[in-house]
Amino acid sequence: MTASHPSRAVAITGLGVISAVGRGVASMDAALAAGRDGLGPLSLWDTDLAGEFPVGQYRGDLDADLAEVGLAPTRRSLARMSRSDKLALVACAEACAHAGLSPAALNRLGAGAFVGQSVCGTLASEAQYQRARAGHTSRRGMGAMFTHEGANTQDQLARHFHLGGPTLGFMTACSSGANAIGLAAARVAAGQCEVMLAGGADSLSRIAVYGFHSLQVVSPEGPRPFDANRKGMSVGEGAGFVVLEALAHARQRGATPLALLTGYGHSCDAHHLTAPHPQGAGAIAAMRGALAMAGLEPRDIGYINAHGTATLDNDRTEALAIASVFAQAPVPVSSVKRFFGHTLAAAGAIEAVVCARALQTETLPQNLGLQTPLPEAALDLVRSPRHAPGLRHVLSNSFGFGGNNAALLFSATEAAWNPS
Amino acid sequence: MPVVITGLGVVSSIGTGAAEFRAALLQGRCGCALREFPRLAGNSVHAPAYVSVAAEPHGLIEPRKLRRMFRIVRMAAVCARQALQMAGIDPSTVPPHRIGIVFGTAFGALEVTQKFIDSWIDNGQRHASPLNFMNSVHGILASQIALDIHATGLNLTISQRDISFEAALAHGAAALEAGQVDVCLVGGADELTPLLHEVAARSLYASLDAADAAGLDPLARRGTTVPGDGAAVFVLQRQGRALAHLAGVRLGRHDHGGPDLARELLQNEAAAGVDLVTNNRDGHLRSARVHQRREAVVGPGVSHRGNFGTWPTAGALQFAANALMLAHGEYYAPLAAGKPQPMRTAPRAILHDAASSSGVHAAYVLTANEQ
Repeated sequence: MTASHPSRAVAITGLGVISAVGRGVASMDAALAAGRDGLGPLSLWDTDLAGEFPVGQYRGDLDADLAEVGLAPTRRSLARMSRSDKLALVACAEACAHAGLSPAALNRLGAGAFVGQSVCGTLASEAQYQRARAGHTSRRGMGAMFTHEGANTQDQLARHFHLGGPTLGFMTACSSGANAIGLAAARVAAGQCEVMLAGGADSLSRIAVYGFHSLQVVSPEGPRPFDANRKGMSVGEGAGFVVLEALAHARQRGATPLALLTGYGHSCDAHHLTAPHPQGAGAIAAMRGALAMAGLEPRDIGYINAHGTATLDNDRTEALAIASVFAQAPVPVSSVKRFFGHTLAAAGAIEAVVCARALQTETLPQNLGLQTPLPEAALDLVRSPRHAPGLRHVLSNSFGFGGNNAALLFSATEAAWNPS
Repeated sequence: MPVVITGLGVVSSIGTGAAEFRAALLQGRCGCALREFPRLAGNSVHAPAYVSVAAEPHGLIEPRKLRRMFRIVRMAAVCARQALQMAGIDPSTVPPHRIGIVFGTAFGALEVTQKFIDSWIDNGQRHASPLNFMNSVHGILASQIALDIHATGLNLTISQRDISFEAALAHGAAALEAGQVDVCLVGGADELTPLLHEVAARSLYASLDAADAAGLDPLARRGTTVPGDGAAVFVLQRQGRALAHLAGVRLGRHDHGGPDLARELLQNEAAAGVDLVTNNRDGHLRSARVHQRREAVVGPGVSHRGNFGTWPTAGALQFAANALMLAHGEYYAPLAAGKPQPMRTAPRAILHDAASSSGVHAAYVLTANEQ
């Protein structure tokens, strides 16, 4: 599947991120440079499983973070926010500040927000359900179960950033964040608006942790993407947001384009609810779709940020898919899942921030956790941060349950008018 | 580039399939009834609700696939097959990557999500059900339909309260207009589970008044309304034997001073001649307040929620009613508390104005064939 060619160049003018390695792009940069992961024991709720495997939990105080980024919600509004909402608000506030766009400016520009989601507010609703089953069915408590809906996040974003454009939640499991960014960019490219906020957010929850544990894909030692002896993933939480803006509009107002979003491809395996297509057919289609939209060849790509969850199936099929598309032009590959854990719907969005920073700093993030590369495909896996002078185009893969595949292609800002 | 509706499938409280649904609307049938809802405390209540009839596959879906489908998925998958059948499309004859699926759902697979939570509460955290987990994701409707018909193109699930379906419609139409797909299945579905009913009743949204079994009154201004569930799926194409034409669709918010989407649409030449406005008014006070403001802009609207009930993606059933009115040159007098509202002439072009108290807003214009 190839998305249509954009009629206008789309720039990224703001980045925001929050994850297990900390709040803000600077914290993320420092962790990536130092090879420091954010994995640790689960402490958000009491569970027998807490000591058995690490998770990518954000350890900061989200309420204090909200105040520090200038949102300062009231106690009443805090009570209506899920942990996912707070993660999204903090990351979005950083991205908007980075882009130099105030809520008044966003409102004047008719900006909207597309958000990738999967867990949404279930951390609160599942706890309330447990209480309700035990007989506690107060009106206030049962009302809290409405935080289950992902739309709460979009409503909070609209309220705090005065958004008059469309606010939508995209739920394609672990490719949600990438799809939200790709579809928001399509809106800007088509001239439907000048600015869109786009990203993904998910918090840890019992549903996610017990669910992936039930599938026997959680590693007791944390993820080791593309390692021959990998034992699975770590569930994580976080949010990533980008400000997408028509390049001409960004220039007109004196904003600095950080990178360009030049390609977006998506596909569906139609193969199995959780297992990827064994030959990576859907992943191949998504990557080729992104390349076609950008008008690029595989040899033009300087780095691939892999989905790389470290599950046996994902890494094997993704490696085969990358080897197939890039057979004639091997390209450096890494997965950053060891740093953050698998942040589910936020993963594609956080990794969009990683890719934009890679282009800005001309440095490829390392594939943390790798010891022995998997034998199925000979990939150029990035074992330590690698300087990549002249890096022009990078590809980011995101794959989800239901065989939902998305690939985003980012380019250095000068690439738009001087394509390689 | 034009987008036309060439097929539709419906599972609702007033019938399954386009023919049953149309007949029910023509006859002014109301899908509301007193239903028994078990409560978490172990007791049960009888409350009015519009619960969809069983989504019978009638040979549309292979039994081995049906076994893996929970209620909401079955509703959506049956609708998809009905819609393809009406459009005369055998999906196996279309390149898989040229078929897109875009679904709107506010709550997703609630029943199976609850089953999954029950599995770890009842059996322990180490014994949660993997089957229920993999079926609990919001995207399960679009994914299962893709598996059923082997569609490898665009596959999206969108969730945004009362405009979840209209957002799916907009993205499906955009994919067709951009040439990304040749056939796009666009749908909306939500299910009313006992737990959702309990939450809605405790939040003073769902009525517990037996007298409301006559049906909700969209024009009322009450503190409660009567919930329901259902699904509808549509085949969108760039050309074909059309039930109706989609002249335009817009998404946004009405709570922060954005452009008026309906006015934008009405300025479009393709949307000329609108002679009926429909909306998502459901008799709840909050809905009435929003639509009082909206009707000052677009004129009085009608809502068929008195016929088939209200839930976030009930807009999909309104879209089905609107397409059928245009396709057959008919007008379906909507019900208010079970009583038919005044008859009007058959519409030739319909503006639908969907807005909710959460601030989300969507509008589309559907026109009859010769428009």
